[in-house]
Amino acid sequence: MEPTQAIPVQRPSRWDEPLDASMTDADVAWLRTRGPFNAMDQSAFPRATPLTGILRYDCRLHRVEPGEVIVREGDYGNSAFLVITGNVRVLVDSLSQTQLGRDPIRSIGWGEALKRFLKRSSYPETRTPEQVSINLGGRGQQSIRQIDDRPAIFLQDVDAVLRRHETVSLGPGELFGEVAAMYRSPRTSTVVAETEAALLEIRWQGLRILRRDRTFADTLEQHYREHWLPVHLREIPLLRYLPEENMRRVIASTELRSYGRMEWNASYKKTRKLPPAEQIESEPLVVDEGQLPTELIIVRSGFGRMCLRHGAGHLTTAYLGKGHLFGIEEIVYNALRPPSMPAVRYQNSLRAVGFLDALAIPIETFATEVLPHIRRSELPEVARSLQHRFSEKRKERRRSSSDERSEQTNPNGKPSPDVRHASGASFDSTGLLEFIVQHRLNNGRDAMVIDLHRCTRCDDCVKACGDVHDGNPRFVRQGFVHERLQFVQACMHCSDPVCMIGCPTGAIARDQGTGVISIHDSICVGCGVCEAACPYENISMAEVVDPKGRPYVDNETGKAIRKATKCDQCSGLPSGPACVSACPHDALVRIDLSESPPLTHWLEKRS
Amino acid sequence: MKEVSTHQKTISLKQRRAVALAATVCVIVIFWYLWRRESSRLGAPAFFTGFTLLAGLVILALLGARRRLPMLPLGKVSTWTQIHLYVGFFTTAIYIMHVPAIVAGGMFEAFLSLVFLMVTASGFYGLYASRTLPKKLTAVETQHRFDRLDWGRNQIAAMAEQTYSELTEPSAREVLQTFYQRALSPFFISRPSLAYVIVPSGTRRRKLLGDLKELDRYLESDGRRVAGKLAALVRRRDDLDYQFALQLRLRCWVVFHSILSIVLLAAALIHMLIALRFAG
Repeated sequence: MEPTQAIPVQRPSRWDEPLDASMTDADVAWLRTRGPFNAMDQSAFPRATPLTGILRYDCRLHRVEPGEVIVREGDYGNSAFLVITGNVRVLVDSLSQTQLGRDPIRSIGWGEALKRFLKRSSYPETRTPEQVSINLGGRGQQSIRQIDDRPAIFLQDVDAVLRRHETVSLGPGELFGEVAAMYRSPRTSTVVAETEAALLEIRWQGLRILRRDRTFADTLEQHYREHWLPVHLREIPLLRYLPEENMRRVIASTELRSYGRMEWNASYKKTRKLPPAEQIESEPLVVDEGQLPTELIIVRSGFGRMCLRHGAGHLTTAYLGKGHLFGIEEIVYNALRPPSMPAVRYQNSLRAVGFLDALAIPIETFATEVLPHIRRSELPEVARSLQHRFSEKRKERRRSSSDERSEQTNPNGKPSPDVRHASGASFDSTGLLEFIVQHRLNNGRDAMVIDLHRCTRCDDCVKACGDVHDGNPRFVRQGFVHERLQFVQACMHCSDPVCMIGCPTGAIARDQGTGVISIHDSICVGCGVCEAACPYENISMAEVVDPKGRPYVDNETGKAIRKATKCDQCSGLPSGPACVSACPHDALVRIDLSESPPLTHWLEKRS
Repeated sequence: MKEVSTHQKTISLKQRRAVALAATVCVIVIFWYLWRRESSRLGAPAFFTGFTLLAGLVILALLGARRRLPMLPLGKVSTWTQIHLYVGFFTTAIYIMHVPAIVAGGMFEAFLSLVFLMVTASGFYGLYASRTLPKKLTAVETQHRFDRLDWGRNQIAAMAEQTYSELTEPSAREVLQTFYQRALSPFFISRPSLAYVIVPSGTRRRKLLGDLKELDRYLESDGRRVAGKLAALVRRRDDLDYQFALQLRLRCWVVFHSILSIVLLAAALIHMLIALRFAG
């Protein structure tokens, strides 16, 4: 037998893909003279990831012009921005959709819906010139302009906008957008360039390493604890009745943890094809089963998988999403058990599916600051039964005033729906649960599911979609199949909308009222970033034509104008989603898969 | 995000069916009573049942109109389908009350009766088919879109050709060549026969797989590997043809039922005009 021959390859390194390949040593040297980098201690950084490397490979310099919108409220992003020179303004109150170049969704009546349908063009994907580009819409100056090598969107009449709205000015050395970048949450404010400015965009990987510098890390941490952690904790239903004093102590002791990769969509196609056991093994372990509980884990963003060791593999017992809790049953049981009973250990392991951002409250803090303020009806079942057994023996002592108060306000003793499912989503069918997690369908807040035992494959859903969307259906009736269910390739309006990250003009946006993610044609530059980012391949690019079928082309390059297209839930139409109403056999539903009850109820109805 | 309506306490599909059937039977009994009363009083029971039947046909035809107006908030098409179904049962009962014989006398009336019976029969078949064929389609491993079936067929044929060309061993090539050219290649290249489309069966698949298995004894390991791959492609192609046959049947049924329904409605209107003209 011949000896095995080694194949020499270059080992992949962390910075194989720089954020901006055009960053030079001169840029890095210049940045090192500016704050906060001039005060950073180089020795605080590991040798493999020096400060100069971070500046070179994880950062990008931007020149912005007055009136340019840098980030928009509600957008998602992976980067923070540091002001190097010039000034930017953070708008404290919200701008209207129109000011950001987006066309607000307008509900139309029967008459207009019918008129549009009857007068529709015979060519698919027709647009009026105003829909093709905001610059042709007669809204004054050019709203989309090319700044260096990128398209940028500008506010119209910026001086008046800044005068009318409450703003905060940020100058050199100040950072913004770091919370959205680090913790995958929507941006909370719109930021506009006040003067010509130079900004340093820092991607979250770089930002994390920059926290090696103590001063920088403390500033970030303090800012987060002061401004954002209280907001995030208040969003958790279990903590909503916590007095201010207790909340302060909870804030002081809560720790922030991150697991996995935020760009989970990049490796999604590969990981979902792995055998289940291998996939679970590849997921970062947050908590291992069998440990004594030391903290309550609250999922702030991302996804988690609760699983048990079973035979040679792992059995998924539930999946967790934003607001779900891990370890609550064990912790509450241990806190309420009589001293004669042994403490229980974590019954499940928790793993990060893709990425998981968690808040960890130590059990001591939870027991003293939080537990006394949780309503009995909102406690986990196991703790309630334990408490009930206990109260049988010592009725007087157990009837505390807080309990009485809670029973008065919630007389039926049922927990509110958001608390009831706080320990994760689960199904009777383990296969369905494993399937949903394996394909990351739990990201979908409005997924299209078809019951194949009822679907006659007539494609009326597809035809109806095409009829109300310029003759071009926004989905294809295909997708992952599990037993009788087909999870169709249609936009799921995800909890973690990775498609919204990186849009240069903010054309793809989530409606705050309905949660629907839609594309605003007039500011879509057709770059295809959203299409590439969607791991489920639910966005496609379409070349647009005028109602007579003449293609729109770029006046400089002659290339066809493309627009991103996807399901918009037929927003504005009086019929609601046309696909659902067109199904003649009740086979199709739009459903929230981030929680289990909607799908469970739907399946029960047809069992 | 809007809450999905499935959160609400809704009745199951079985309960819905029981309630709707009971309501339909009640309505039929009421109309039967009214018809008998009209007959016993020497009234005009034929006009009573005739106009009821015509109204029923108009309601049945509205489903087609609803399907073509997806943008209007006229309720789900599935609700309309349910109404269509039970109104269909109801009109069948009224038809029996209306006609003196199942196929009426007179050329036009006989034609009308036959069209009605064909629409009714196709409607009942449609109900049966739409409840049974989806399960058969789902039982097939791969789900194919009807508009992509030709593409899928070509893909499988190309894969079969490539698999066959992988054979390098002369003895294996000699054994498989004749069978591939005589049986497999025509199977992969051509569309399924009309007989298969009308009554899809596993005979063709079993025969091809059996014959292929028979060749195993003459093949060495590499030849068997290629034969195994070809057998897998035969299964895939047969699954695809099965999907094609069943999906085509469902589509043809819709077209047949819709066209006949239009003919029926037009003939019924003519019948009404004739009846009114000669009613005195």
